[in-house]
Amino acid sequence: MSRTQSAAEEKTVHKDESSAPPPLLEVTDLSVEFRTSAGQVRAVDGLSYRVEAGRTLAIVGESGSGKSVSSLAVLGLLPDTATVTAGTARLDGVDLLALSRKEHRARCGDQVAMVFQDALAALNPVHTVGYQLTEALRARRGMSRADARKRAVELLDLVKVPNAKARVKEYPHEFSGGMRQRVMIASALSLDPAVLIADEPTTALDVTVQAQVLRLLAEIQAERQMGLVLITHDLGVVAGVADDVTVMYAGRAVEQAPVVPVYTAPAHPYTRALLRSIPSASGTGRLPVIPGRPPSPAAMPSGCPFHPRCDAVRGVCRTEVPPHAVPAEGRMSACHFADDILAGRDPAPDGSGNDRGDSGGDHG
Amino acid sequence: MGRYIFRRVLQAVGTLLLVMLLLHLLTTVAIQLNGNPAQAFFGDKVASPAQIAVVEQRFNLDDPCFDQVGNPCLGPFVERLGQYAQGDFGTNLRGREVSDIVATAAPNTLRLFCVVLVTWLALGMVLGSVAARWRGSPGDHGIRLTSVLIDAFPVFVLLIVYRYVVAVPLSRWAEETFGEDSWPPYWFKPSFDPEHPWATVLVPGILLGLAGSAAFIRLVRAGQLESYQGDHVRTARSKGLGERHVVVHHVVRNSSVPVVTAVGLTFTEALGGAVITEGLMNIYGMGGVLWGAVRDDDVGLVLGIVTLLAAVTVVVMIVVDIAYALLDPRIRYE
Repeated sequence: MSRTQSAAEEKTVHKDESSAPPPLLEVTDLSVEFRTSAGQVRAVDGLSYRVEAGRTLAIVGESGSGKSVSSLAVLGLLPDTATVTAGTARLDGVDLLALSRKEHRARCGDQVAMVFQDALAALNPVHTVGYQLTEALRARRGMSRADARKRAVELLDLVKVPNAKARVKEYPHEFSGGMRQRVMIASALSLDPAVLIADEPTTALDVTVQAQVLRLLAEIQAERQMGLVLITHDLGVVAGVADDVTVMYAGRAVEQAPVVPVYTAPAHPYTRALLRSIPSASGTGRLPVIPGRPPSPAAMPSGCPFHPRCDAVRGVCRTEVPPHAVPAEGRMSACHFADDILAGRDPAPDGSGNDRGDSGGDHG
Repeated sequence: MGRYIFRRVLQAVGTLLLVMLLLHLLTTVAIQLNGNPAQAFFGDKVASPAQIAVVEQRFNLDDPCFDQVGNPCLGPFVERLGQYAQGDFGTNLRGREVSDIVATAAPNTLRLFCVVLVTWLALGMVLGSVAARWRGSPGDHGIRLTSVLIDAFPVFVLLIVYRYVVAVPLSRWAEETFGEDSWPPYWFKPSFDPEHPWATVLVPGILLGLAGSAAFIRLVRAGQLESYQGDHVRTARSKGLGERHVVVHHVVRNSSVPVVTAVGLTFTEALGGAVITEGLMNIYGMGGVLWGAVRDDDVGLVLGIVTLLAAVTVVVMIVVDIAYALLDPRIRYE
C-alpha cells in the first residue's frame, strides 16, 4: 500500500499545475441498453465522466460493470443488439452520439482512438503489422506506400518495439503479447488522436509486461498531452498512472474522485472493498474478497445495486436508489452513507432512526 | 515451403498409385465375375474364339488371371503402369486413342467449368456478402429463402425446362432480333455446337452454376458472419475506416480460405463431369465420355479417364493447400 500512496502523491503535484482546462471528452448521463431474450437490459445507466487534455481518467469496475460498453458507445462501435438510449458524448464540444454514423466514424481514430484488450484478436491475422499501423493513413489521408512504410517504422519505434524496420513486415502472430499490445497502441496513435481510450490494455499480459505497457502509455500521454481513458478492473494498476478515478458497479458510476483521496479515504463501500482486495507483497493471511457476484443487468436488486454485497448495508439501501452525494469537494459517491464511509466509520445501525433521516436529507 | 511442396508431390504420387491399384483391382474383379469385356467389342454378333483372342490381346485382356476369381492380376497392372509412364493411355474399344478422346472432351468440360465458376463466384460472393452484411434484414431472409429454393430445384429440372420450353423461342427471337450470323442466337441454342463451344456452353453453365450456388451462398454468408464478429473488424472500424474498406480488407479477405477450398472441390467435381448437364445439352465432355465408357464396358477408357481425374484432383488439392498459406500467414507448412 505504501508504494501506491507515494505514487499517488506525485500525481497530486501534477494535478495542481493543470488548472481545469476545458474537457476534451465529456460524457453525460450515458445509458446503453441491450436487446436480449429477457427483454431490454440496461448495461450502462446514467454514466457521466470528463477527460481533460493531459490527464488520465481510470474507469474501474468488475467485468460486466459496463465500462467497456460505455467506451464502445463513445466510438459508435456497439454491437447491433445495443442502443444508446440517453446521454451525450461531447468531443471538443460536438456531441458524437448525435452525429450520423458516417460523421461519427470519421471522428474515430482521428480525434478519439481506442486500444483494445487482447491484441491478438484485435489485430487482423492476415495483414502485416506495417499494413495495419498505417492502414488509416493510407486509406483516409491518401499517404503513399513508401511514406506509409517509413511512418510504420516510426510508429513502432515510438512504442519501443526493437528492430522496427524488420518487424513491420511481420504478422501479429509473430509478436509476443507485450509487443502486440504496443503495436495496438501505435496503431491507435497513427492519426494523432486527442483522446485515447484504452480498454484493459494489459489484461492478457504478465505482470512485468503490464507495468511496461502502462508506463509506455503514460509517457506517450504526457508527451502528447492527450486525454487518456484507462479502463481496467484492477484498482492496483490505476494508482501510478491515473489522475482521476471513476468506479463503476452494475452500469453506474458509484464513486468519482481524484486518485489520491480515493486510495486514502474511499467514499463508497464498493471502492473500500475493492481497495481491501488488492493483494500486497507484505500481506499475510487471507486476502479479503467481496462476497457474492455482481448482479445480472436483467435482474437488478431493488434500491442500491450494491446492497446485497455491501458490508455496511442498512434498511434504506434495500428500498431506495442512492443519490449522487458530494461528500467532499470534487468527489462523488452514490451511497446513502457517503459521509460516514468517507470518514471511515460505519453508518449508524437501522434502529437509531435519526441517522436514516439525516443521510437522506443531506444528499437528496 | 519448397520442402513442403516436394513432400506433398511425393505424397500425391503415392496417392495416385494407390488409386490406380484400387481401380485395377475393382475392374479385375468385375471382369472375373462378369465375363470378358472383349465380347463387348462385337456387340450383338457372335464372335469366333479366334476373333475374341485377337481382341483380348489388343486390349491386354489375354492374361489367364482374368479367368481366376480372386487373382489380383498384378502382371497386367504393372504392364499398364509402364504404358502410362510412356504417355500411352491405350485406346477405347473402337481403337481411338484415349488421350485423343480426352483432348477433345476435356476443353469442353473446362469451358463449362469456367462459366459455372464465374456464375457461382459472382452469385455466391455478392448474395452471401449482402446477406452477411445486413444480417437479419428482409434481404438476408430473402437470400436465404432463395438459396433453399435453388437447392430444392434440381439442375436437371432447370435444364429440361430451359431446353424444351425456353430455349427454342429465345433462340428464334434472338435470330430475328440480332440476325442469324450474330452471337445471341448461339447463346440460346438448345444443344451444344462444337463450332461455337463458348457461346453454346454459356447458358447451360450459368444454369448449372446457379444450381450449385445455393450452398456456396450459405458458405460465404457463414464465413463472413464469423469475420464480422471478429475483434479485428471492430479495431478497423475504430480507426475510422469506411465501411466498404472494412468489408473488403477485413471481412471478405479474412473469410477467403473456405471459399478457396470450395472452388478447389468444385473444380475436381466438375471435371469428373457434370454428367446430367453434359448429357441433356449434348456437350461432348468428360462426364458424358466416362458415362458412355462405363455403359459400354470400355475398361481401357474408364481406367484412363479415372486415372487422369485422380491426377488432376491431387494436383488441385496441392494448389489449394499452397493457396491457404498465401491467404493466411498463420498457416505454415514447415
